Amino acid sequence: MRLTEAETNKTYRVVAIEGGCHAKDRLIKLGLLPGVEIQVKRKAPLRGPFMVTLNDSDIVIGRGIASKIEVRPVV
Amino acid sequence: MTTIALIGQPNCGKSTLFNQIAGYKSLAANFPGATVTYTKGTTYIDNELVEVIDLPGTYSLSWYDDAEKETVKALFSMDIDVIVNIIDASMLIRSVELTIELMSLEKPMVVALNMMDEASKKGIEIDVQKLEDILGIKVVPIVAKKGKGIKELLASIKQAKKPRKRCVYKKEAEEKITDLSKCMAENLKDTQWPLKLLSIKAIEGFEPCEKAVMETSCAEMLTKIKKDLDDGMVIINQRHALCMNIFEQSSQVKKTRKKSVESYFDDILMHPIFGYIAMIAIFAGIFYTVFQGGVPIENLVMGLFGDIDSYLSLVIHNQLAFLIAKGAVDGIGAATGIALPYLLPFLFIISFLEDVGYLPRIAYLMDSTMHKMGIHGTSVIPFVAGYGCSVPAIMATRILKSKKEKYITAFLASIVPCSARTTVIMGLAGYFLGYWYVIGLYAFNLLVVLISGMILKKLLPGISPEMIIDIPPYRLPSIKTLLLKTWQKVKDFVYLAVPMLIIGSVILTLISYYHLDIYINDIFKPILHDFLGLPSALGVVLIFGILKKELTLIMLYQALGLSSIAMVSSVMTHTQMLTFTVFVIFYIPCVATIAAINREIGIKGSVFITVGTTVLALVIAYMTKIIFLAL
Repeated sequence: MRLTEAETNKTYRVVAIEGGCHAKDRLIKLGLLPGVEIQVKRKAPLRGPFMVTLNDSDIVIGRGIASKIEVRPVV
Repeated sequence: MTTIALIGQPNCGKSTLFNQIAGYKSLAANFPGATVTYTKGTTYIDNELVEVIDLPGTYSLSWYDDAEKETVKALFSMDIDVIVNIIDASMLIRSVELTIELMSLEKPMVVALNMMDEASKKGIEIDVQKLEDILGIKVVPIVAKKGKGIKELLASIKQAKKPRKRCVYKKEAEEKITDLSKCMAENLKDTQWPLKLLSIKAIEGFEPCEKAVMETSCAEMLTKIKKDLDDGMVIINQRHALCMNIFEQSSQVKKTRKKSVESYFDDILMHPIFGYIAMIAIFAGIFYTVFQGGVPIENLVMGLFGDIDSYLSLVIHNQLAFLIAKGAVDGIGAATGIALPYLLPFLFIISFLEDVGYLPRIAYLMDSTMHKMGIHGTSVIPFVAGYGCSVPAIMATRILKSKKEKYITAFLASIVPCSARTTVIMGLAGYFLGYWYVIGLYAFNLLVVLISGMILKKLLPGISPEMIIDIPPYRLPSIKTLLLKTWQKVKDFVYLAVPMLIIGSVILTLISYYHLDIYINDIFKPILHDFLGLPSALGVVLIFGILKKELTLIMLYQALGLSSIAMVSSVMTHTQMLTFTVFVIFYIPCVATIAAINREIGIKGSVFITVGTTVLALVIAYMTKIIFLAL
């Protein structure tokens, strides 16, 4: 499933990141890369961005980027 | 002279450290990407003069925006003797990624481990000695904000050694990287990049590096390696695993059950409804306080300078000499009358919002609205800065990624009323028409910004990549840092604007003394008088307004031949005042702003924005005239 479909405050594992080279590079630099566990903390209204929590920080990513992140729920 | 460079990820406290070391010249903000140009300073270590360079924060050596590119370029092109890598202890895993990249530069290096207090708040305890052993670099714990550990850091800088060689990647990957850098060593002579780093970045698919390799005969080798290493993901994963490993070995994490302060604040400030209410309330509060508090101070200042004027008229009997002296005094008066009551407090509050970490949260809230204008939440920083002064606003577009985004943001930020234009809004509309008109004008301005943005989005080619932004923890800045930062921002105004105001004011007096204004006004008569229905005497005022918008208000009553601003109502109707105010809000940015636009987005951009805003101002002012005459 895509990160855009993720529910808030549930833990997911990143499976893959597709799409723009640059965005991918920055995501990796911020620690969001395949294998990492993330949580969606907030979603801004009106198709706004997502605030996600990684192991040691919070980042905000645009919805378009979020739709290119493949995740799997962690049970 | 020894040169040391401070490098770290955005928000790690780099500028604060720089201020501690090299004396209060660098800007710190709790907003990723606050330092957009690098700052140099000097300090003494054991009586030896050393140069300190504060580079913009970067997440890695493969840049994402222009600010990061600046850092990497500076790092490679400057003759740097010691690298001081500042690490945010509360975000160790991510920070160490950059450290590992820096180690490959093989320069003497020291790690400054900052924000230990924040780490322990998160329940992370770091064993400094262990971290030092694993990294093979001297690690010095510091608290930059309080100046703790600075002495130890300086001492270690003096004894800094090159990092001990270590294998970052597994044998297979390491061999492939070596092969590629060997190949590049034979084929590529002219590069500032260290070849190993270039090879790693090329394999990871960082465009500039990949391109450099693909242009040589190593292209085939790179294609094969990329295939073998899963498009570079293998080395990315290995490096990340190493960072995790370093973290796990050097740190102990105690899970704190306590909900952090951040989440309490964020629950309100980032709430889908309350967040917006809070945001509007905060900004309304700021404007109200600054301008309510500012008016009496301005009146006081103006009164004082009025007294000086009347004193001068008694002392100086030569008419020309008196006019020149009066012009100069009025110029200083205008500058003081803006800077003291409005600009200073406003910039102080903006500095506070920056340092506390509120701005990235607004970026989150405003992102979807910004999308309608073809830009992203990140653009809020230039916008907010624009209410103070347009020059830093334009400079801040450097943190934006695409050309389109920069173009639109620069255009829109330059029509946001800066504090100089605000004095016109307050002085004319506020004084004569009432405060509801002021609020109306601000709201109207936002509407024009939104519509212009939507039009520009359609007009300009290209796409704007989406926002990825770091949300920093809330931090309480010290008064000292805030004052220094405010001074930093107000300095340009004092050094550039004040002389301009004095000269402008004197020249205007001379122009009217020799009756030259008739000719200037005649040129603008068709536009001002016939089209906008304004007194043609305002032609001179608007010309000087291009030099410095601060001049507009004081020159307005001078040009009309009045002794004070209070008499403006005797020669101008309310419609005229409103038309004039609207025109001043939108027309041509001041010279300093045009220069800044020129530097950030090029000559085409500055011509486009200058012409565009003028057309916009004419259209909107004309509409204002028509609408209010009909009422």
